[in-house]
Amino acid sequence: MEIFYVFAGLTILGLLAYGLQIWAVRSTLKKNTGVLEYWSDGIKCPSTPLLHHSHPPVSILKPLKGLDDNLFDNLESFCVQDYPEYEIIFSLQDYNDPAYKVARKIKDKYPDKDISVVVKQCNAGLNPKINNLIPAYDTSKYELILISDSNVMVEKNYLKEIIKHMDDPDVGLVSNIIRGVGGRTIGSVLENLHLNSFILGSVCFLDKFLKMPCVVGKSMLMRKSDLEAIGGFKAVKDVLAEDYIIGKKMHKKGKKVVLSSHMIKNVNEYWGLKKFINRHTRWGRLRWKIGGIKYLTELISNPVFMSFLPMLLWEFSRTTLFFALFISLTKVAGDLYLGKITDSDSNPLVYLLSPVKDIIIGLIWFVPILSNTVVWRGNRYLIGKDSVLSPCPDTGMWSWRYRLVDAIRARIA
Amino acid sequence: MLLCDFHIHTKYSDGSVELRRTIDLFGQAGFDVIAITDHVVNGDNGIGKLAHRFRLSVRENNFDEYISNVRQEAERALDKYGMLVVPGVEISKNYLSSEKSAHILLIDIKEFISASWSFEKIFLAAKEQEALIIACHPHHMSDFSRETLFLWNNRDKYAKYIDAWEIANRDDVFNVISLKKYPYIANSDFHRARHLYSWKTLLNCEKSVESIKQCIRHNKGVAITLFRN
Repeated sequence: MEIFYVFAGLTILGLLAYGLQIWAVRSTLKKNTGVLEYWSDGIKCPSTPLLHHSHPPVSILKPLKGLDDNLFDNLESFCVQDYPEYEIIFSLQDYNDPAYKVARKIKDKYPDKDISVVVKQCNAGLNPKINNLIPAYDTSKYELILISDSNVMVEKNYLKEIIKHMDDPDVGLVSNIIRGVGGRTIGSVLENLHLNSFILGSVCFLDKFLKMPCVVGKSMLMRKSDLEAIGGFKAVKDVLAEDYIIGKKMHKKGKKVVLSSHMIKNVNEYWGLKKFINRHTRWGRLRWKIGGIKYLTELISNPVFMSFLPMLLWEFSRTTLFFALFISLTKVAGDLYLGKITDSDSNPLVYLLSPVKDIIIGLIWFVPILSNTVVWRGNRYLIGKDSVLSPCPDTGMWSWRYRLVDAIRARIA
Repeated sequence: MLLCDFHIHTKYSDGSVELRRTIDLFGQAGFDVIAITDHVVNGDNGIGKLAHRFRLSVRENNFDEYISNVRQEAERALDKYGMLVVPGVEISKNYLSSEKSAHILLIDIKEFISASWSFEKIFLAAKEQEALIIACHPHHMSDFSRETLFLWNNRDKYAKYIDAWEIANRDDVFNVISLKKYPYIANSDFHRARHLYSWKTLLNCEKSVESIKQCIRHNKGVAITLFRN
């Protein structure tokens, strides 16, 4: 019975932490209404028209690799920004990349926009995204740069909303909260559920309660001078979590890292289950290598998984089953509420899959502790402290291990 | 070069993705030309009757609606993605034996053609409409349940009607088409989103229906590519 009480206690603790995450998300979203001002006659109005924010020109750097779901619309959403002066640089490593054709089509569709497609092989480091960004950065014209992933779609006022933070010279980096949209297959439904609960909640929680910069690289706005001051892209060319490290370095330099309440969409439509598992195994490894012992708290903050453990480790009884079901339903309700306040496009019934997702995530949690290799965009690396990458050796124990894994995979395929 | 796929199914027959979403899927991926080719199944046997009953086939009574919706979506696709969408059907003569079965793509079709008609009648009706006639998956495949061998086995009789043969279909490649030096194209036989990544055709011609038909018929400036992400 003691085992049950221990796990029940940890589960309740996890549920409380989840409650705090929801609070943090609400509070972050309320920042929007927090900046409301009043007209002289007392009527509430948005602050933007009154504050006269400056609109400095900005270079949007878009590293592209392969076809993301909704790629055309994602890229197009940056071409129709309600912003006076900006350039978009689509950057690729290879003319044969299928994203090249999409980038060219976008450029042809908007001949009056300042769009360039840069195709240049760059092998500066082991992080393929940084390798892709360096040629775009070298081409960019403006002091403000916005690094934006290819799988995000934004609203027309996105640039205006994030660049206003740069009015404060102490701000070094602005990132955004993201929400997953568009799930049409089981993998993408689970992905969106996870983005809209754990990822969204954690980012807002760290920002609000722990004042920790937790930058998600899907949208990063900064000045070139600030980036150069922390060593430029070369300082992060060999790390997996370049976004987190850039945020951390900015913070260390005394610059503010701001989490904008303007929400951007991460469109995930046709993911398979394997892609979902692969991504979160990689992200898990990354957090394990960066957070160390703090990574353990992630398991506790997964109340659904914790509530199922007594059934496995103690006994399968009515008490343990009802407890697990009660916690699962509470979590479903919490996710549903988060979905409501973030204007999620998901069918409410989809949230019933939330406990399944949490159990899968709970199982994935153990993988980073057992293995320190990561496969990213087809390349295999060893991952070290602070997510520093090193090539997977071709000889010795590693090579045999992966040859065996590859042989098994080939046989199954 | 135009990136093309001329063999695509939607929920009008046995595809799992709606017409609009299918077009968006190809448009978002940067395709230049696609043909929507839902099944028109022969209703003269049990298999065909089941297909009709479960609405896995375009029928004479919804053909006009089907073509009109494809044309409407084609306008949207051209405007939004600069992608040309051509209406078509896949005439599906299904029998228990793969030796008797045949599937034929009719691209740029205007009037309904029944799959229950004889092969000659189908080919002549298609020629009258100036539709492009493609023999689908004509040889042995990795998934033998989809095999349709009739046209290949009777190629001496029917090759004269056929504008091109599928040299590759989704993951299968039919080297016999190459050996016989027949005109060729490659298609996905798209039914699910994952089929986007499969064999495709590259055409070196103008992006217009007439140029594309001529290019395939003359089989000059045609290449195939395995489209992968």
